[in-house]
Amino acid sequence: MRHFRTLLAHELRTAVLSGNTWASAALFLALMGGIHFFALLECSRAPQPWTPVEATFRLFWLPLLCVLPLLTMRSFAEERRSGTLSALLTTPASTAAIVWAKFLAAWLTWAAFWCAFLIFPWIVNARLGTAGDQRLSDPATLFGGLCFVLVSGLLHVALGILCSCLTRSSALAALLTFICLLGLTAVGGAMDSLPIESWSWLGWLREPAAHLRTFGHLQDFAGGILDSRPLVLYVTGMMLSLGLAVLAVEGQE
Amino acid sequence: MSDVAPQPEAAVAAERLTKRYGSLTAIEDLTFSVAPGEVVGFLGPNGAGKSTTMRILSGTMAGTSGCASIWGVSVALNPAEAKRHMAYMPENNPLPEDLRVEEYLRLRARLKDVDAGKVDARVNQVMEDCDLVRRASGRLIGQLSKGFRQRVGIADALLAQPKVVILDEPTIGLDPHQILGIRDLIRSLRGQMAVLISSHILHEVEQVCDKVVIINRGRLVAQGRTDDLRRELLPHAGFTVVTKASQAELVALCTAAEPAATVEDGVATDLGWTRYRVVLPAQSPARETLATTLLSAGLPLREIAEERYGLEDIFLAATRRTPAEGRRS
Repeated sequence: MRHFRTLLAHELRTAVLSGNTWASAALFLALMGGIHFFALLECSRAPQPWTPVEATFRLFWLPLLCVLPLLTMRSFAEERRSGTLSALLTTPASTAAIVWAKFLAAWLTWAAFWCAFLIFPWIVNARLGTAGDQRLSDPATLFGGLCFVLVSGLLHVALGILCSCLTRSSALAALLTFICLLGLTAVGGAMDSLPIESWSWLGWLREPAAHLRTFGHLQDFAGGILDSRPLVLYVTGMMLSLGLAVLAVEGQE
Repeated sequence: MSDVAPQPEAAVAAERLTKRYGSLTAIEDLTFSVAPGEVVGFLGPNGAGKSTTMRILSGTMAGTSGCASIWGVSVALNPAEAKRHMAYMPENNPLPEDLRVEEYLRLRARLKDVDAGKVDARVNQVMEDCDLVRRASGRLIGQLSKGFRQRVGIADALLAQPKVVILDEPTIGLDPHQILGIRDLIRSLRGQMAVLISSHILHEVEQVCDKVVIINRGRLVAQGRTDDLRRELLPHAGFTVVTKASQAELVALCTAAEPAATVEDGVATDLGWTRYRVVLPAQSPARETLATTLLSAGLPLREIAEERYGLEDIFLAATRRTPAEGRRS
């Protein structure tokens, strides 16, 4: 545990001082600022069935695919390329402690990015909002959406860490993460939009598909419904990915 | 009852260590040991399996079969405990470029279980020992010269006062001044911790090490103290003799002193002087009296000198023989 705390503090410090983190943060905020601006614009032109914040969160996959791979790509790939991972493994710190420290540091950074995004709805509300009207930045929707990206982020960041363990090239790690996250989001989106219930020959898929509806999870969270099934899905996926990451690091060294 | 754990017979022990990559055998049946406090040179030609062995001993790579233990603890069965007794500086000494020397050493001290209250003192001590305090402590590692980077690697290895230090090519790429500094530092560790060093600079190993282990093509070919290996691997004593006498005269005098003596064909130098090489068995009493014998016979003699066999000669002789011969010895 002491090693884990030491490694986590080191990883957080490295993340704060890294130019890569700040560049990723700039890209994230630019993307989210743009998305939120266009959502506001859309809502100002004609009445919409969703609030600007809801519309912004529905595009969570855009920063997920563009920014998260940049955050996690260097975690192991760069250390393996430079050889510093071998040096780290000569200490009594366990591989699991190293993997968990890197994961948690990346997840906290991802969480900090999303918390920083909250500044946009706050500015909009402060400049354009009226007392009693919460349509511009409904706190419940904001909180629910944020909970969704943080909980689903457990799996997404763990996948990024796993991909980074598989190669010495940061660019390849980013590409692998992008492909995995694209696949996961696309499958989640497909489960939402495909009429699986009406296909009798796919009856066996109904139950598992119900668990994989990523956008359904977002709606549930934003609507204030706390269902334990997505929590189990994301936490189990995270544990599996990190377990595989530990095996990958131990196997390669 | 004492809390101090008993000192094991071997600080480092490799028993029938084997590592295979598919059909390629990197090391096979490697058995050697390093006693506590001993400084041992680990030698072998490029590709002999030195780095592989060191990586297995340090717990960063698993062997295919055999047993490696550090301070009596199996590296495979209890890696965390084995790593507590050991420090390893890999070849090329990889270091994070974006940390300052002092920050890096503090981080490593905490990871190596140095008591929280003693971290500062230990970091300051090793920086002092490795001459890092004045010129490098506050600098980014990425800005350091090769010599200072090696010093940082060695400082890291000494941080937790381990029982065993494994250094893979610690002086590679250093200038002669820096090599001297590192050599003195390693020499100062004798008696305090067991040190296993791989190096291509045989002269340096000879000066620093109590014992050498020589491997070739993944197999042990010789191990022991330099003097013992010299006797074992180089059973002859060679003399350079520069004289005006003929080869026949010289052969007659040498075989009278030692029947097994041989004289190799001479090389003419200048003004009628010829350089011969006389070879005697290393244990022959004539080795002590050859100069007196030649002088008392009135031989016109300008020079006589016994050839000194260094570690280089031992290394060449050891790596020429087969692993089976090495095991028999």
